[in-house]
Amino acid sequence: MTEDAAVPPAPPESAPEQPEILRLEGLQVHFPIRGGLIDTLAGRAKGAVRAVDGIDLSIRRGEILALVGESGSGKTTTGRVVVKLTKQTGGRVIFDGQDVSGMWGGKALRPYRKRVQLIFQDPYETLNPKHTIGDFVEEPLLVGGRDLSREERQRRVLDALDAAGLRPAADYAARYPHELSGGQRQRVVIAGALVMDPDLVVADEPVSMLDVSIRTELLRLMLDLRKERGLTYLFITHDLAIAWVIADRIAVMYLGRIMEIGPAERVIRHPRNPYTQALVSVSPSPDPPDEEGAAKRTILVGETPDAAHVPPGCRFHPRCPLAFDRCRTEEPPLFDVGGGQQAACWLAKDGPLDLPIIDAVEAVGGVVHASGEI
Amino acid sequence: MSELDIRSNRKWPMPKQAVPGAPLLEVEDLSVRFAMRNGSVKAVDGVSFRLNDGEALGIAGESGCGKTTTALSLVRLLPANGRIRSGSVKLFGIDLVPKTEKQLARYRWREISMVFQGAMNALNPVQRVGDQIAEPIEVRLGASRAASQKRAAELLDLVGIPKQRAMAYPHQLSGGMRQRAMIAMALACDPAIVIGDEPTTALDVMVQAQILQLLEQLRRDLGLSLILITHDLSVIAETCDRVMVMYAGRVAEEGPARRVFTAPRHPYTRKLLLAFPNIHADRRTLDVIPGQPPDLRNPPPGCRFAPRCAEAMDVCREVVPPEVRFADGVRVACHLFPVSDAVAGEVPA
Repeated sequence: MTEDAAVPPAPPESAPEQPEILRLEGLQVHFPIRGGLIDTLAGRAKGAVRAVDGIDLSIRRGEILALVGESGSGKTTTGRVVVKLTKQTGGRVIFDGQDVSGMWGGKALRPYRKRVQLIFQDPYETLNPKHTIGDFVEEPLLVGGRDLSREERQRRVLDALDAAGLRPAADYAARYPHELSGGQRQRVVIAGALVMDPDLVVADEPVSMLDVSIRTELLRLMLDLRKERGLTYLFITHDLAIAWVIADRIAVMYLGRIMEIGPAERVIRHPRNPYTQALVSVSPSPDPPDEEGAAKRTILVGETPDAAHVPPGCRFHPRCPLAFDRCRTEEPPLFDVGGGQQAACWLAKDGPLDLPIIDAVEAVGGVVHASGEI
Repeated sequence: MSELDIRSNRKWPMPKQAVPGAPLLEVEDLSVRFAMRNGSVKAVDGVSFRLNDGEALGIAGESGCGKTTTALSLVRLLPANGRIRSGSVKLFGIDLVPKTEKQLARYRWREISMVFQGAMNALNPVQRVGDQIAEPIEVRLGASRAASQKRAAELLDLVGIPKQRAMAYPHQLSGGMRQRAMIAMALACDPAIVIGDEPTTALDVMVQAQILQLLEQLRRDLGLSLILITHDLSVIAETCDRVMVMYAGRVAEEGPARRVFTAPRHPYTRKLLLAFPNIHADRRTLDVIPGQPPDLRNPPPGCRFAPRCAEAMDVCREVVPPEVRFADGVRVACHLFPVSDAVAGEVPA
């Protein structure tokens, strides 16, 4: 596509003049760790799991923002806060100019839930095996749109099924989940989100369970729906390659913080945070690596520490091949590195210079040995 | 390690019936059917391949293409309704297909072992990890309790799990650590072949990279042969010498991974590679394969990919394409490549 030839910043589709639809300000979700009775009586501090630990994010109308991270990075929790399934413990959620942080309770949330929909990962567990496809897609209308007539509901169900590529829609509406393939089931789940005619769709790993060829079909469908219906997506995935394919902008999360954010082209081609660089370097590719390619892979040692024990300073420093003194004590904020890209790394502080990070990694022999927690 | 070195470095003697000079594993014309209430499913239909000492073979394909069934039938771990209908599985020249369950036990784990996908489900949740690794050593090799415990500790060390974690239960380990424990268990009896069924699929990218690196290193150090079954072409590109792409129970294309990935011949292989999201390629140029794989209770006559193939000709819908071998060691089953292109002789190793 020609749009991809364009040099960053943002691709034209997410025209920057579009108004902001969602903004997260200093969002924080800490889950308290409950101790036993004795701990409570003794007044011992239990601490908290800092699942999301202060993130700022904004999405414009019609934009696809991918939230990428490994398990435990807080990406799913962030998505759940946006769809109001999890309460934040700090920070604000602003939707379409309105602060919805304090909006709770089924009734109060009803108008919000019409406009913000969630697509889950597993189409096998999302669908009730005893309900027809039509029932499933109609359900949100029964809950959220009680003023609709039966005919109107039916029309919208068929319309949504058709938009999700399940044609003829009337035929699919009468079927049961077991009659459908995995890809078709996920289309049903998408239709269930579309039926409310939402503005924002939070998609949590929507294609991770599917085969390669079906995956691309669904990614295309999601791109088409954006074009036709002006949808905005918060796309949550662990797979950088999928984010690369679908997103306008990518935010990389690690242990509850955003490590890097910017236009997809910039984050993938010019990552400025060592964590993003490592992720990019190990991102799967079906091109067999040559010697040089293999040497450039940065395989981090250890695993992401648990969010109840976030390291001091930069939370990535124990595994970072380039960590220095400052990283161990002071947490870096997101620094602007140009082209709409920001990186949370002290090395990115001084602006858009290209960092010699790959060289530094090669100097230690291709594989980085940092003292990660095992 | 050369082939000879690998065999002379074996910890255990070769099986008594081994044919001298026979290849490590040779599968010929393997067919597996599953009996279902409404017909039988031809899950694997005439699959042949070969695995040499120290080699890594990747079996790729989408769900239902028969890749896992092929691997399970090598050690006959098929579900109860699955049967090998024809063909041979020769390990060191010994055909395993006619063996009884009891005879086959000599080969499971000791010659061919497996690493399964969901390490959490494959490990026993109420047994310590170290004990689980020691168990096959005790049972299969008749080692003493102490000796098998010692060996288990060595194995944990080999796969990068700190020794003190031998006392841990599976839930106390992270996903990556559990998968390492699974690998240690597969290595317990010093097998010649380790089969990995989607060994990294449920893992994070960084942990996946660590596990693949570990497998690579074990293969080099121990002279293992690997069969990796995965839908993830990138895993194969990174770790395997050869790749076999399966579609609807048959081999579409097989050959040296580098050749198949850089110059795919079969239309299915080409489509599959184009459909794979890749950060090193252009954005949004992803290809789509229209339609779905056929119902294997009643597969289409001719080439099974023909209904979804943009290049299908009349002959494809009627005649099963024969396998054609090329000089670069790739074989393809597609009518676009007539038998006259075939190259006589064996596949170069």
